[in-house]
Amino acid sequence: MTSAPQTASQRAASEDLADVERVLNGDLGAFEGIVRRWQGPLVNMAWRYCRDRGRAEELAQEAFVRAWRGLGHWRREGSFSTWLFAVAANVFRSDLKRFPTVDVRLEDAPEPAGPATQYNAVEERSRHEVLRRAVLALPARYREPVTLFYFHEMDVSAAARTMGLREGTLKARLSRARALLRSRFPHLEDEHAAMDVKELSTGKGA
Amino acid sequence: MTMNQTRKTLNEIGNTEIDRILAAEEALVPSSGFLASVMERVREEASAPAPIPFPWKRALPGMVVVAGLLGAGAFELVRHAMPAASELTLIAPQISLAAVRSLEQAGWVAFALGASLFSWMLSKRLAGRSGLL
Repeated sequence: MTSAPQTASQRAASEDLADVERVLNGDLGAFEGIVRRWQGPLVNMAWRYCRDRGRAEELAQEAFVRAWRGLGHWRREGSFSTWLFAVAANVFRSDLKRFPTVDVRLEDAPEPAGPATQYNAVEERSRHEVLRRAVLALPARYREPVTLFYFHEMDVSAAARTMGLREGTLKARLSRARALLRSRFPHLEDEHAAMDVKELSTGKGA
Repeated sequence: MTMNQTRKTLNEIGNTEIDRILAAEEALVPSSGFLASVMERVREEASAPAPIPFPWKRALPGMVVVAGLLGAGAFELVRHAMPAASELTLIAPQISLAAVRSLEQAGWVAFALGASLFSWMLSKRLAGRSGLL
Protein backbone atom coordinates (compact mmCIF):
# COMPACT_ATOMS: atom_id res chain seq x y z
CA MET A 1 0.00 0.00 0.00
CA THR A 2 1.44 3.32 -1.02
CA SER A 3 0.74 6.67 0.61
CA ALA A 4 -1.13 9.30 -1.38
CA PRO A 5 1.17 11.54 -3.40
CA GLN A 6 1.91 14.89 -1.77
CA THR A 7 0.41 17.97 -3.32
CA ALA A 8 2.72 20.78 -4.40
CA SER A 9 1.78 22.87 -1.38
CA GLN A 10 2.35 19.99 1.04
CA ARG A 11 5.72 19.31 -0.55
CA ALA A 12 6.64 23.01 -0.31
CA ALA A 13 5.54 23.05 3.34
CA SER A 14 7.71 20.08 4.25
CA GLU A 15 10.64 21.55 2.33
CA ASP A 16 10.16 24.84 4.17
CA LEU A 17 10.17 23.07 7.50
CA ALA A 18 13.31 21.11 6.65
CA ASP A 19 15.09 24.25 5.43
CA VAL A 20 14.10 26.21 8.53
CA GLU A 21 15.50 23.43 10.74
CA ARG A 22 18.76 23.46 8.79
CA VAL A 23 19.05 27.25 9.00
CA LEU A 24 18.38 27.18 12.74
CA ASN A 25 21.10 24.55 13.06
CA GLY A 26 23.58 26.91 11.42
CA ASP A 27 23.34 25.98 7.74
CA LEU A 28 22.91 29.42 6.20
CA GLY A 29 22.83 28.01 2.65
CA ALA A 30 19.52 26.29 3.38
CA PHE A 31 17.86 29.70 3.43
CA GLU A 32 18.46 29.82 -0.32
CA GLY A 33 15.81 27.14 -0.80
CA ILE A 34 13.29 29.27 1.06
CA VAL A 35 14.13 32.34 -1.01
CA ARG A 36 13.98 30.32 -4.22
CA ARG A 37 10.50 29.01 -3.40
CA TRP A 38 9.01 32.28 -2.15
CA GLN A 39 10.78 34.99 -4.14
CA GLY A 40 8.04 35.09 -6.78
CA PRO A 41 5.11 35.43 -4.37
CA LEU A 42 6.89 37.98 -2.19
CA VAL A 43 7.99 40.19 -5.10
CA ASN A 44 4.45 40.06 -6.50
CA MET A 45 2.96 40.86 -3.13
CA ALA A 46 5.31 43.84 -2.75
CA TRP A 47 4.44 44.94 -6.28
CA ARG A 48 0.77 45.06 -5.34
CA TYR A 49 1.65 47.24 -2.37
CA CYS A 50 3.74 49.79 -4.29
CA ARG A 51 3.41 49.14 -8.07
CA ASP A 52 7.10 49.93 -8.54
CA ARG A 53 9.22 47.04 -9.71
CA GLY A 54 12.52 48.23 -8.26
CA ARG A 55 10.99 49.06 -4.93
CA ALA A 56 9.06 45.79 -4.89
CA GLU A 57 12.32 43.84 -5.08
CA GLU A 58 13.89 45.98 -2.36
CA LEU A 59 10.88 45.43 -0.12
CA ALA A 60 10.84 41.69 -0.81
CA GLN A 61 14.55 41.51 -0.01
CA GLU A 62 13.99 43.32 3.27
CA ALA A 63 11.15 40.93 4.06
CA PHE A 64 13.42 37.92 3.52
CA VAL A 65 16.10 39.42 5.74
CA ARG A 66 13.55 40.10 8.49
CA ALA A 67 12.24 36.56 8.10
CA TRP A 68 15.75 35.18 8.42
CA ARG A 69 16.33 37.22 11.57
CA GLY A 70 13.05 36.07 13.05
CA LEU A 71 13.10 32.40 12.03
CA GLY A 72 13.50 31.36 15.64
CA HIS A 73 10.25 33.13 16.49
CA TRP A 74 8.16 31.09 14.05
CA ARG A 75 6.00 29.03 16.40
CA ARG A 76 4.95 26.46 13.76
CA GLU A 77 1.30 26.83 14.67
CA GLY A 78 0.48 27.68 11.08
CA SER A 79 2.29 27.11 7.83
CA PHE A 80 5.63 28.74 7.16
CA SER A 81 4.15 30.64 4.21
CA THR A 82 1.44 32.18 6.41
CA TRP A 83 4.11 33.41 8.82
CA LEU A 84 6.33 34.63 5.98
CA PHE A 85 3.48 36.60 4.37
CA ALA A 86 2.61 38.17 7.73
CA VAL A 87 6.26 39.22 8.24
CA ALA A 88 6.35 40.60 4.70
CA ALA A 89 3.08 42.50 5.17
CA ASN A 90 4.51 44.14 8.30
CA VAL A 91 7.66 45.16 6.44
CA PHE A 92 5.71 46.54 3.46
CA ARG A 93 3.20 48.34 5.67
CA SER A 94 5.80 50.10 7.81
CA ASP A 95 7.96 51.01 4.82
CA LEU A 96 5.03 52.43 2.87
CA LYS A 97 3.93 54.37 5.92
CA ARG A 98 7.30 56.12 5.92
CA PHE A 99 7.55 56.56 2.14
CA PRO A 100 4.07 56.47 0.59
CA THR A 101 3.86 55.49 -3.05
CA VAL A 102 1.24 58.01 -4.06
CA ASP A 103 0.05 61.22 -2.54
CA VAL A 104 -3.04 61.36 -4.74
CA ARG A 105 -6.42 61.16 -3.01
CA LEU A 106 -9.00 58.75 -4.37
CA GLU A 107 -11.20 61.67 -5.47
CA ASP A 108 -8.33 62.98 -7.58
CA ALA A 109 -7.58 59.69 -9.32
CA PRO A 110 -8.26 60.00 -13.05
CA GLU A 111 -11.46 58.37 -14.21
CA PRO A 112 -11.96 56.59 -17.53
CA ALA A 113 -13.78 58.82 -20.03
CA GLY A 114 -16.81 56.56 -20.44
CA PRO A 115 -18.04 53.19 -21.69
CA ALA A 116 -15.85 51.87 -24.50
CA THR A 117 -17.53 51.89 -27.89
CA GLN A 118 -15.21 49.28 -29.28
CA TYR A 119 -12.76 46.86 -27.82
CA ASN A 120 -9.27 48.26 -27.61
CA ALA A 121 -6.75 46.15 -25.74
CA VAL A 122 -4.26 48.93 -25.10
CA GLU A 123 -6.94 51.33 -23.91
CA GLU A 124 -8.51 48.69 -21.70
CA ARG A 125 -5.15 47.84 -20.20
CA SER A 126 -4.54 51.49 -19.45
CA ARG A 127 -7.97 51.82 -17.78
CA HIS A 128 -7.26 48.74 -15.70
CA GLU A 129 -3.97 50.21 -14.59
CA VAL A 130 -5.76 53.38 -13.52
CA LEU A 131 -8.04 51.30 -11.30
CA ARG A 132 -5.13 49.32 -9.84
CA ARG A 133 -3.31 52.54 -9.01
CA ALA A 134 -6.50 53.94 -7.49
CA VAL A 135 -6.32 51.11 -4.95
CA LEU A 136 -3.13 52.73 -3.66
CA ALA A 137 -5.07 55.96 -3.13
CA LEU A 138 -7.58 54.26 -0.82
CA PRO A 139 -7.35 55.04 2.90
CA ALA A 140 -4.75 52.74 4.52
CA ARG A 141 -7.29 50.67 6.48
CA TYR A 142 -9.05 49.68 3.23
CA ARG A 143 -6.06 49.54 0.90
CA GLU A 144 -4.29 46.60 2.50
CA PRO A 145 -7.30 44.28 2.70
CA VAL A 146 -7.92 44.89 -1.02
CA THR A 147 -4.27 44.31 -1.88
CA LEU A 148 -4.03 41.08 0.08
CA PHE A 149 -7.44 39.75 -0.94
CA TYR A 150 -6.57 39.86 -4.63
CA PHE A 151 -2.98 38.74 -4.01
CA HIS A 152 -4.33 35.65 -2.26
CA GLU A 153 -6.61 34.97 -5.23
CA MET A 154 -9.69 36.21 -3.40
CA ASP A 155 -9.16 33.93 -0.41
CA VAL A 156 -10.63 35.87 2.51
CA SER A 157 -9.20 33.62 5.20
CA ALA A 158 -5.65 33.77 3.78
CA ALA A 159 -5.82 37.56 3.53
CA ALA A 160 -7.18 37.78 7.09
CA ARG A 161 -4.39 35.54 8.41
CA THR A 162 -1.73 37.63 6.69
CA MET A 163 -3.10 40.79 8.24
CA GLY A 164 -3.82 39.21 11.62
CA LEU A 165 -7.48 40.25 11.37
CA ARG A 166 -10.73 38.35 11.80
CA GLU A 167 -12.43 37.32 8.58
CA GLY A 168 -15.49 39.42 9.40
CA THR A 169 -13.38 42.54 9.87
CA LEU A 170 -11.56 41.93 6.62
CA LYS A 171 -14.82 41.37 4.73
CA ALA A 172 -16.27 44.60 6.13
CA ARG A 173 -13.22 46.61 5.10
CA LEU A 174 -13.19 44.93 1.70
CA SER A 175 -16.81 45.76 1.13
CA ARG A 176 -16.24 49.40 2.08
CA ALA A 177 -13.16 49.59 -0.16
CA ARG A 178 -15.07 48.27 -3.14
CA ALA A 179 -17.89 50.70 -2.49
CA LEU A 180 -15.36 53.53 -2.54
CA LEU A 181 -13.87 52.28 -5.79
CA ARG A 182 -17.30 51.80 -7.35
CA SER A 183 -18.31 55.33 -6.41
CA ARG A 184 -15.11 56.64 -7.95
CA PHE A 185 -15.38 54.55 -11.10
CA PRO A 186 -19.12 54.21 -11.85
CA HIS A 187 -18.43 53.70 -15.55
CA LEU A 188 -16.78 50.35 -14.89
CA GLU A 189 -20.13 48.75 -14.10
CA ASP A 190 -21.78 50.40 -17.14
CA GLU A 191 -18.90 49.35 -19.33
CA HIS A 192 -19.10 45.75 -18.17
CA ALA A 193 -22.81 45.68 -18.94
CA ALA A 194 -22.21 47.28 -22.36
CA MET A 195 -19.57 44.67 -23.18
CA ASP A 196 -21.92 41.86 -22.18
CA VAL A 197 -24.65 43.23 -24.48
CA LYS A 198 -22.18 43.57 -27.32
CA GLU A 199 -20.91 40.02 -26.85
CA LEU A 200 -24.48 38.69 -26.86
CA SER A 201 -25.44 40.63 -29.99
CA THR A 202 -22.36 39.40 -31.88
CA GLY A 203 -22.83 35.86 -30.58
CA LYS A 204 -19.49 35.81 -28.71
CA GLY A 205 -21.13 35.25 -25.41
CA ALA A 206 -22.99 32.14 -26.52
CA MET B 1 -13.19 24.19 8.83
CA THR B 2 -11.18 23.33 5.73
CA MET B 3 -9.47 25.80 3.45
CA ASN B 4 -11.97 25.04 0.70
CA GLN B 5 -14.91 25.82 2.95
CA THR B 6 -13.55 29.20 3.94
CA ARG B 7 -12.30 30.05 0.49
CA LYS B 8 -14.62 32.55 -1.12
CA THR B 9 -15.29 32.38 -4.80
CA LEU B 10 -15.68 35.30 -7.11
CA ASN B 11 -19.45 34.99 -7.13
CA GLU B 12 -19.82 34.80 -3.35
CA ILE B 13 -17.96 38.04 -2.84
CA GLY B 14 -19.55 39.86 -5.74
CA ASN B 15 -18.80 39.34 -9.38
CA THR B 16 -18.09 42.92 -10.28
CA GLU B 17 -15.89 44.43 -12.91
CA ILE B 18 -13.62 45.72 -10.17
CA ASP B 19 -13.05 42.16 -8.97
CA ARG B 20 -12.32 40.99 -12.49
CA ILE B 21 -9.73 43.69 -13.10
CA LEU B 22 -8.00 43.51 -9.75
CA ALA B 23 -7.89 39.73 -9.76
CA ALA B 24 -6.35 39.56 -13.22
CA GLU B 25 -2.91 40.90 -12.41
CA GLU B 26 0.03 39.73 -14.48
CA ALA B 27 2.64 37.97 -12.38
CA LEU B 28 6.08 39.54 -12.10
CA VAL B 29 9.16 37.38 -12.37
CA PRO B 30 11.92 38.41 -9.95
CA SER B 31 15.09 39.64 -11.66
CA SER B 32 17.86 37.10 -12.19
CA GLY B 33 20.08 38.58 -9.49
CA PHE B 34 17.38 38.75 -6.83
CA LEU B 35 18.16 35.45 -5.13
CA ALA B 36 21.88 36.22 -5.04
CA SER B 37 21.32 39.70 -3.61
CA VAL B 38 19.06 38.37 -0.86
CA MET B 39 21.59 35.71 0.09
CA GLU B 40 24.37 38.31 0.07
CA ARG B 41 22.38 40.48 2.48
CA VAL B 42 21.67 37.49 4.71
CA ARG B 43 25.35 36.48 4.74
CA GLU B 44 26.34 40.06 5.59
CA GLU B 45 23.87 40.05 8.46
CA ALA B 46 25.12 36.67 9.64
CA SER B 47 28.76 37.75 9.61
CA ALA B 48 28.06 41.06 11.35
CA PRO B 49 28.91 41.09 15.07
CA ALA B 50 25.98 40.48 17.35
CA PRO B 51 24.43 43.67 18.77
CA ILE B 52 25.73 44.63 22.20
CA PRO B 53 23.09 43.67 24.72
CA PHE B 54 21.90 46.26 27.20
CA PRO B 55 24.05 45.96 30.36
CA TRP B 56 21.20 45.11 32.72
CA LYS B 57 23.52 43.86 35.46
CA ARG B 58 25.41 47.15 35.59
CA ALA B 59 22.38 49.34 35.14
CA LEU B 60 20.15 47.55 37.62
CA PRO B 61 21.67 49.01 40.85
CA GLY B 62 21.41 52.52 39.41
CA MET B 63 17.85 51.91 38.35
CA VAL B 64 16.96 50.59 41.80
CA VAL B 65 18.50 53.68 43.43
CA VAL B 66 16.62 56.02 41.09
CA ALA B 67 13.37 54.16 41.69
CA GLY B 68 13.97 54.33 45.46
CA LEU B 69 14.64 58.07 45.31
CA LEU B 70 11.53 58.64 43.25
CA GLY B 71 9.50 56.54 45.66
CA ALA B 72 10.89 58.39 48.68
CA GLY B 73 10.25 61.72 46.95
CA ALA B 74 6.66 60.75 46.22
CA PHE B 75 6.18 59.58 49.80
CA GLU B 76 7.56 62.87 51.18
CA LEU B 77 5.40 64.80 48.79
CA VAL B 78 2.26 63.03 49.93
CA ARG B 79 3.28 63.32 53.59
CA HIS B 80 3.73 67.10 53.31
CA ALA B 81 0.89 67.80 50.95
CA MET B 82 -1.82 65.89 52.85
CA PRO B 83 -1.85 68.03 56.03
CA ALA B 84 -1.60 71.18 53.96
CA ALA B 85 -4.49 70.08 51.80
CA SER B 86 -6.62 69.32 54.86
CA GLU B 87 -6.10 72.89 56.09
CA LEU B 88 -7.67 74.26 52.96
CA THR B 89 -11.29 75.32 53.22
CA LEU B 90 -13.82 76.14 50.57
CA ILE B 91 -14.68 79.46 52.17
CA ALA B 92 -11.24 80.90 52.43
CA PRO B 93 -8.77 78.97 50.36
CA GLN B 94 -5.32 79.59 51.77
CA ILE B 95 -2.33 77.75 50.53
CA SER B 96 0.39 77.43 53.09
CA LEU B 97 4.04 77.98 52.17
CA ALA B 98 4.79 74.32 52.81
CA ALA B 99 2.05 73.27 50.43
CA VAL B 100 3.31 75.66 47.77
CA ARG B 101 6.80 74.25 48.09
CA SER B 102 5.46 70.72 47.94
CA LEU B 103 3.45 71.49 44.87
CA GLU B 104 6.45 73.13 43.26
CA GLN B 105 8.53 70.04 43.97
CA ALA B 106 5.73 67.87 42.66
CA GLY B 107 5.72 69.92 39.48
CA TRP B 108 9.43 69.32 38.99
CA VAL B 109 9.03 65.61 39.66
CA ALA B 110 6.18 65.44 37.15
CA PHE B 111 8.26 67.36 34.63
CA ALA B 112 11.23 65.01 35.12
CA LEU B 113 9.00 61.98 34.73
CA GLY B 114 7.44 63.45 31.60
CA ALA B 115 10.85 64.24 30.13
CA SER B 116 12.06 60.71 30.87
CA LEU B 117 8.97 59.23 29.26
CA PHE B 118 9.33 61.45 26.21
CA SER B 119 13.01 60.56 25.89
CA TRP B 120 12.23 56.83 26.15
CA MET B 121 9.46 57.05 23.57
CA LEU B 122 11.61 59.07 21.18
CA SER B 123 14.55 56.66 21.43
CA LYS B 124 12.20 53.71 20.90
CA ARG B 125 10.70 55.33 17.84
CA LEU B 126 14.10 56.17 16.37
CA ALA B 127 15.36 52.67 17.04
CA GLY B 128 12.23 51.25 15.39
CA ARG B 129 12.74 53.42 12.32
CA SER B 130 16.34 52.36 11.96
CA GLY B 131 15.28 48.72 12.10
CA LEU B 132 17.10 47.98 15.34
CA LEU B 133 13.92 46.74 17.00
